[in-house]
Amino acid sequence: MKFTRRDLLAWSAGAAAGLIVTPIPWKLLDDTSIWSQNWPWIPQPPRGPVETKRSFCTLCPKGCALRVRMAAGWPVGISGAPDNPATRGALCPLAYGAHQLNWHPARLKAVRHRGNTSSWFEASTAFAKASTEGPVVIIDGFPGRSTSQLFQDFASKRAAQYRVVLSPEIRSLRAYEAWAGVPATALGYDLENVRTIVSFGARMLDGWGSPGRFSHLWAEQASGKTDPQLRLIQIEPQLSRTASRAWKWISIRPETDSALAAGIARVLLEQRLVRATGPMPRLSLTEASSLTGLGPDAIHDLAQVLVAEKPTLAIADGDNPAVAALNFVLGSIGTPGGIIQTTKSAMPYLPAESNIDAARAVLIDSSVPWDFDVQTEAEVFRFAAWDGGSSKADWLLPAPGFLEELTDIPSAPGSSVQTYSLTAALTRPAFEVHTAAQFLQNVEPQIGKPEEIIHQRCAQIFKARTGSIYAADVAAVSNCSSPQKLEEAMWAGAIWMNEPLYNSRLLRSLREWPTEAGSATPQNSENTWSPGILPPLSSKLYCESNLCESSERRNA
Amino acid sequence: MSARYGMVIDLDRCTGCGACMMACAAENNVPALPKATNRTGLTPMLVRKVSNGRNGVAQREVFIPILCMHCEQHTPCVSVCPQQAVEVDRATGIVMQMPQRCLGCRYCMTACPYHARYFNWWDPAWPAGTEKSLNPGVAVRMRGVVEKCNMCHARLHAAQEKAAAAGKREIDPADYVPACVEACPTGAIRFGNLADPNDPVTQESHSPEAFRFLARLGTEPKVYYKSKEAWVRALAEAASSTEVQHG
Repeated sequence: MKFTRRDLLAWSAGAAAGLIVTPIPWKLLDDTSIWSQNWPWIPQPPRGPVETKRSFCTLCPKGCALRVRMAAGWPVGISGAPDNPATRGALCPLAYGAHQLNWHPARLKAVRHRGNTSSWFEASTAFAKASTEGPVVIIDGFPGRSTSQLFQDFASKRAAQYRVVLSPEIRSLRAYEAWAGVPATALGYDLENVRTIVSFGARMLDGWGSPGRFSHLWAEQASGKTDPQLRLIQIEPQLSRTASRAWKWISIRPETDSALAAGIARVLLEQRLVRATGPMPRLSLTEASSLTGLGPDAIHDLAQVLVAEKPTLAIADGDNPAVAALNFVLGSIGTPGGIIQTTKSAMPYLPAESNIDAARAVLIDSSVPWDFDVQTEAEVFRFAAWDGGSSKADWLLPAPGFLEELTDIPSAPGSSVQTYSLTAALTRPAFEVHTAAQFLQNVEPQIGKPEEIIHQRCAQIFKARTGSIYAADVAAVSNCSSPQKLEEAMWAGAIWMNEPLYNSRLLRSLREWPTEAGSATPQNSENTWSPGILPPLSSKLYCESNLCESSERRNA
Repeated sequence: MSARYGMVIDLDRCTGCGACMMACAAENNVPALPKATNRTGLTPMLVRKVSNGRNGVAQREVFIPILCMHCEQHTPCVSVCPQQAVEVDRATGIVMQMPQRCLGCRYCMTACPYHARYFNWWDPAWPAGTEKSLNPGVAVRMRGVVEKCNMCHARLHAAQEKAAAAGKREIDPADYVPACVEACPTGAIRFGNLADPNDPVTQESHSPEAFRFLARLGTEPKVYYKSKEAWVRALAEAASSTEVQHG
């Protein structure tokens, strides 16, 4: 049989038609595509049983309630716990990527002594030696925990000093400490009952207080309303995110918050818009006007707005006695919708200053924000989970990272009620880490363990029989059958919340308008509370959207 | 009954915190590649800050979360895809992207009027060990494919599996909530079934304050926005992000 040119053409046409009809090339293309998408170097997520556990965030002292999705024993997703009344399911943006922080390249994996790798034994020996040679200062950034109690126990046994780096919310309450005779940590803002908030630079919608607390109140009572139930007046030189969402934004010259507070107080007192009769600020309305750049009429109008819908609460960004005195004039101290006492058992703390003299050694807990850098000749032992960059620390000691530490969570700064919760370690670090409390136990074995203090605290809550336990259901503490049951519920993710303590006799008198001016923000400390390291996702996303002002902290 | 999942985003409630972006990226295993820029990074949910263009105390800003609008009609990305890697799921109304079929031609990125599609310029990579923290419900995408918001389809699968295990044909709406909706601290992003007239989201989408971006194109996007501010609603017909002044 002869194979002709015509046969060749017919065979070729048939083959072409067959190729189109047959699925083989398409299947090969598909397989090639799938094969090329599964290179061995492409990271694969963990495989294993998936479960959801409850925990609390320890990245900052606000202690937001978490639901942690675990796969094969590793945390693979974070979300808020909606049944927690303190945070109501809301978290700050950083928390959503926090479970990736433990693998951050800046994670501290070994003890470092002045830039060189060292050992825990050497660090412990050096600290023990230093503590016998001179005074020791212990600095805590998250006061009120069982670990903080151990620090205080160590300080009392070894004649050391215990100091605290206060969060901006607590710093803004320090002015009331002297007037009311109550520690700032025992005071809170009763935001739930307030009608008008005048914020002197406090970023109410941008990291101030627990993320879920004010954002929910604002969303329910204020957002998008021309006559809202909750009026937020933001006083700030620049249009911040809070200012852009506020009911009113009032722009004043930088660092003239105190002058404006004095000007408002003068109008309120002179025009008898409030019950209080003093103290009268020394600054006249004209002087306040020229300092702030606001006209006298604008200050007058603002004063009228503040008393139109009461209770009114003035909140400063940091320690500003003039803004605190404005609350006194407004009658917002010790009353619902004002500054209230949250507990009667809090102890006053000595605030940590950046300048520490006459100490032989300084131990900085991992809860202290990385921005806080001590100026001292003493030997500095700094605990941290991540190396946040240059720091005056002789010893860098690896601490547990996110969800790696058993701890308790006291009330969030500025909270209007006392709360308490517990969080177990959900994961184990891949290298040797120690908490500052464990480190101190090596030097002073008699200071006990955090678990023992947690047992005692749970027993005290049970004994007091006040407040309620919030989990999936709410149960009064008085209905708990035993302290063990109460503690079990709390280890499972419940939160204890006390009743608010409204005390109208919190502040007796204020005779003179405070002379200190401006915001007394501690040196070396930023206004916002931020960890030394940001989750890589957050730095990436903020720079790829136009929310970020600069790219300095990108992949910090 | 087939659903039409959609969203209503209340711009008066959005504070621009970025929790939705973070939750979306963590849920969908988006890598944080240091070399990615604002032109080359993956941001299936992107919050944009837009100013009213005025100065002084008259200045105002709004934060607009931008994601795939899940166009119902004449879906531009579906129309141009030579690989059938994009399709509108008739059971859910979700515009699905199938990376296994994607050739990386980026026609869909050009066609998308919302610039809500992103190209994987690099192989995904994380710091060593981070793979243990990736979401096992979502496959890691590879270099050379386009991706976008799929309304957290893995969560829909999980809800369907749960319903099937309970012997039900319909999912419980509470079981299927996209990560951005769950994360929003002010409840600005609401999610629901637009095919259900009794769904609160459907009712909100019919409010006079609701609008859709570039509705004139006739693509019937299923993501609605809402604002009481007239200048914000006026942004709806801006042809692209370059026509509005970014803050």
